[in-house]
Amino acid sequence: MNIFIPLLAGIIFGYLFRRRININLDKPMSATLLLLIFFMGVEAGRVEINAVDIFISSLTFAVLTILGSLFFAVVLGGRVR
Amino acid sequence: MSFLYFVLGSLIIGLLVGKYSSFHFGNLYEVMLYLLIFIIGVDLGKSKGIKEIRELGKIALLLPLATVVGSLMGGLLASFLLGLRIKWALAVSAGFGWYSLTGPLLAQYSTVYGVIGFLANLTREILTILFYPIAIKKIPKELAVSMGGATTMDSTLPVLVKFGGSEITIIAFVHGFILTAIAPFLIPLIIQF
Repeated sequence: MNIFIPLLAGIIFGYLFRRRININLDKPMSATLLLLIFFMGVEAGRVEINAVDIFISSLTFAVLTILGSLFFAVVLGGRVR
Repeated sequence: MSFLYFVLGSLIIGLLVGKYSSFHFGNLYEVMLYLLIFIIGVDLGKSKGIKEIRELGKIALLLPLATVVGSLMGGLLASFLLGLRIKWALAVSAGFGWYSLTGPLLAQYSTVYGVIGFLANLTREILTILFYPIAIKKIPKELAVSMGGATTMDSTLPVLVKFGGSEITIIAFVHGFILTAIAPFLIPLIIQF
């Protein structure tokens, strides 16, 4: 649940100061993200991982989540078209 | 697309450092994660997406709802096919293509699921870029936006607009905006169970 604290703090901060925050957040977000992914890679590098299994699992998730989304979009969204 | 190379480069360098060195970075990982989540929150807070949701009407809420339900159902099916625990499968699929959030969030609890969360959602983004132009030959172009999940407000938006036309810009943006707002809450919520 710790994750909600910085998230809610950020949303409140962003909303309250929405007119004063003129900086583009893309660059700090990208820098933080690249460091975070690097550290995630370091952690993953220390664990023995079967690359083929991980690849198959990832592909299965990607394909099924896309197909599921398309199916429900057609079923639900098709009614309001 | 070029940022994707930096992302993959960071991941590969990190993997090599982790595998072949004994460097320890303390709690820098958590600090970066909380910082990223805070910046995402600020970005959401100052965004004007809510105004555009009102303008679009019913479809603005129905399409993201379909994406949420469909992604979770897809994740559920994947858990049965791959023999994974339902909780983790749902958490991976609740990223809706937002790999940079899902991977690090899940890695807090399990490194292996962190990597799966990252790669599965990255693959979703890549497949959307590759297959959206094909999908719209069979499915209405505004409904096919759902395949991109949360990425339809930024990284896949140019492809969607190029092939779907400028009239889907707002629907794609709002769809991505709503899912971007849901994912950071839904993933930790699923992991708690």
